[in-house]
Amino acid sequence: MADVQTPPAPGDGSDGSETPTRDALEPGEAFAPGTGLAARIERSNAWRSLFRHPNIDTPRGRALQSFSNFFLHLYPVKIPARVLRMRYSFRLGFIVTVLFFILVLTGVYLMFFYTPAVGSAYGDMQHLRTGVGFGQLVRNVHRWSAHLMVLAVFLHMMRTFFAGAYKKPREFNWVIGVVLLLLTLLLSFTGYLLPWDQLSYWAVTVGTNLVQYVPFLGHSLTKLLIGGDTLGQATLLRFYALHVAVLPLLVVLTICIHIWRVRKDGFAVPRLSVGETTSAGTFEEEATAVPSRVPSNAPKDLYGARTRVLGVVDRESITAEERAVDDTVFTWPHLLVRHAVVALGVCATVLVLGVAFVAPLRGLANPNLTPEPAKAPWYFAGLQELLSHFDPLVAGLLVPAGAVLVLVLLPYIDRNPSTLARNRKVAIVVFSSLMLIAVVLTVIGTFFRGPGWRFVVPWTHWYVEL
Amino acid sequence: MTTTRRRFLRSGWKLGGTILTAAAGWTTYESLRPLVGSATGATVELGTPSNYAPGTATYVSAARLFVANTGSFLYAMSQKCPHLGCRVPFCESSGQFECPCHGSKYNIGGEWIEGPAPRGLDRFALTLDSKTGTLSADTSTVIVGPPRGAKQFVTPAKGPSCIPKA
Repeated sequence: MADVQTPPAPGDGSDGSETPTRDALEPGEAFAPGTGLAARIERSNAWRSLFRHPNIDTPRGRALQSFSNFFLHLYPVKIPARVLRMRYSFRLGFIVTVLFFILVLTGVYLMFFYTPAVGSAYGDMQHLRTGVGFGQLVRNVHRWSAHLMVLAVFLHMMRTFFAGAYKKPREFNWVIGVVLLLLTLLLSFTGYLLPWDQLSYWAVTVGTNLVQYVPFLGHSLTKLLIGGDTLGQATLLRFYALHVAVLPLLVVLTICIHIWRVRKDGFAVPRLSVGETTSAGTFEEEATAVPSRVPSNAPKDLYGARTRVLGVVDRESITAEERAVDDTVFTWPHLLVRHAVVALGVCATVLVLGVAFVAPLRGLANPNLTPEPAKAPWYFAGLQELLSHFDPLVAGLLVPAGAVLVLVLLPYIDRNPSTLARNRKVAIVVFSSLMLIAVVLTVIGTFFRGPGWRFVVPWTHWYVEL
Repeated sequence: MTTTRRRFLRSGWKLGGTILTAAAGWTTYESLRPLVGSATGATVELGTPSNYAPGTATYVSAARLFVANTGSFLYAMSQKCPHLGCRVPFCESSGQFECPCHGSKYNIGGEWIEGPAPRGLDRFALTLDSKTGTLSADTSTVIVGPPRGAKQFVTPAKGPSCIPKA
């Protein structure tokens, strides 16, 4: 019987041998040695019904912790070491997930103080400011998290494109990502109306009226969306139900599928193996190469060069072992610690934003007074800008529908298997140009437009509302 | 091709599932479809034509519409901009309808002058009761505004625009 303090060698007791070595991980063995209260609690049946394995810092212990823990089970037990690098993914997918959880938590808090009724919604928002402990802060955090989530989803999509991580076999996960982008926009947009102030009322009026440009179905769809001809009680209730129930459930389901597929498809990193070219050449070359650096104190050979002779072998006998390099590390603690730090960083960021910047609340929504200017939320400002230049059919339908269609079909259109930037010049130039146009339009619509959609410069006239 | 029991059942449940999905979709649509508009739908009394002087547009808040007298015609016009739904106020100084959102402008007859709007302001059916001599607007029926090319009431702006210059 092995002692708890001496971890067993990996593979012991799990390789099918007839007399497996028993260790602290085996049922019935010492779970937590010691006589202290903590050790006694850890040995209790109640504790062990929750945590089935002790916290043993061995490869087998870490693997078991991952297997037997629901939350850790979301992660693979081991991951390629390259995934740990910040520049691998910039943790953007994880940041989005953290922001979503912050939004759910703060959103549920806000639901305790909010009634989705035209007569009371605005009053509830004012009450939240003055009559609820930390109400304003939680609302601020909810607001800035929502904006950051839209931004992070967009950046996540950009990162995935430039890394070529949408290519086979990850095509469908890219499509799910596009669905998540749309759901995020809808979540943010439906939440925008709920304060029922002048800002939300007119931004949503403009946003929902974009739908009317869908040929044939436009007016019916707009009416279906807002529940009438103009925004009113029906709209508020519909947006509320979508915002707090329908869309979050869809997002949770879609995120689950998205992460599950990341697990199943593996991480999109090149794995070193025999025959693959690295910066040092092929693995065989690396294995049989003469060391380029020779110690300065090595003896000189006949020609005066310093060499170190380790042995003399026949050239024919030099072989390379054909084995993939194991570059994996345990998820716990390597990745989880990094994720914990990123999660803390995200929480700190939204908290600082929430303390520093107050979420806007204008006057009570007035259907008879349009503020100047009335802008859609910033992520639709590009579309609004486009609509001021082109025919509504083009700007309101063909461009946005075409953009979504191109995004969805991207992995099926781009069948170039290479993920290296130098082999994907056309795809990168085309995608970057389209994204740049979208960003420029959004920046112009958000910062450079004033009353009557006239061109203004933001450093003299500021008409930005978030 | 003979129809086996397996084939029949296989087709049957697919057909049943399709019908159920269609029924669910249809009932959902029917329950969410607004039957009566939230802002329009009623017939609104607007008083006598003499209340509306030539060259003016008067706002009737009860019906959320403007009654405009072009000099030769009376129109009941929607306050909603056909571009993106903003409320279009009548600018007294210029004598035009000016949308503050995106700068669309319409003349007193609701015809498009400039801006991104796809057409002129929508109108409602206006009737004059011959017995009482009063006007009424039926807001349940929206008459789509005149197309961009309409130039029946073209008049230059009387004065400065109401949209502040940045």
